[in-house]
Amino acid sequence: MMRIYQGVDIVEISRFNKTFLKNERFVNDIFSEKERTYCETKKNPQIHFAGRFAAKEASLKALGIGMSGAGIDNTFREIEVIQGKSGKPLLSFSGWPEKISNKRNIIQFTVSISHSDSYAVATVILAGQDVYNS
Amino acid sequence: MNKSVITEETVLQELKKAIVETLNADESSIQPESSLINDLGAESLDFLDINYRLEQAFGIKMARHFVLEHIEEMYGEGSAIDDNGQLTEKAVTLLKIRFGDKMKDLEPGMDMDEVPALVTVQSLAEGVMDILNSVPESCEKCGKSDWQAEEGVRTKCGSCGEPAVFRNGDDLIKAWLTKVQEEKKIF
Repeated sequence: MMRIYQGVDIVEISRFNKTFLKNERFVNDIFSEKERTYCETKKNPQIHFAGRFAAKEASLKALGIGMSGAGIDNTFREIEVIQGKSGKPLLSFSGWPEKISNKRNIIQFTVSISHSDSYAVATVILAGQDVYNS
Repeated sequence: MNKSVITEETVLQELKKAIVETLNADESSIQPESSLINDLGAESLDFLDINYRLEQAFGIKMARHFVLEHIEEMYGEGSAIDDNGQLTEKAVTLLKIRFGDKMKDLEPGMDMDEVPALVTVQSLAEGVMDILNSVPESCEKCGKSDWQAEEGVRTKCGSCGEPAVFRNGDDLIKAWLTKVQEEKKIF
């Protein structure tokens, strides 16, 4: 049997920019080098950063990891959105998210990101093998 | 032991200021027992903003890893979170020792993602106080023990003006876990 975990998140671009533009550390704290390189080549990088941020948040929700003060930036960086050969976004977990993913026996994950000038939205679906009921 | 020259009242005041500016909240609605998520409506970007403001105001480095993450790293896989993503009894025991009545609703078997809603203004302020209390006995530059609070929030040497170097939040959590384990033998 499979168990499905889902997460969705919407980011208001103007709210995202408030944190993004005010804190120099934000980009390096939250995004990997690959993510930064990808977004910075785009015409409007902030929209793409916001989309990736939404994907990270949606991943946290799907994994069942809550967000709070301590540890939040590190956990965001450990969820990486990379580009597949076709340009489709793919997820990669390391650190704490990877550990939780392993606990839940996640064997497949998909992410979808979309954005307009005002909002970025992402959904994440994780498929885990239910070892107890299979 | 309280070594900080910055008072808990100042920390609470600075935290309230950060919350007001980040969440556009009315200061009178911010109580020490307010949950940042349930009562004040904080979201992840808000937590990041509040953390940055506190780090900048006090010259500190907050923890980069969750307490639960530290427990698993120090005491092994499954010590804090079981295979269903739920809190273990031992993790709850530890969190209750650390946060006391502020997290009285914690229960073994609770989903991991229910924990952040228990973070209150007071518990966040105490995390900042822990870091501020790690101020060294004396200034690394001139050796004098004369810490002063510049503008009420920045700890600086009263003799040479060197800023204090605090331990970071992660090191303090690990040191606390080690101490509690030695005393209580939880694992």
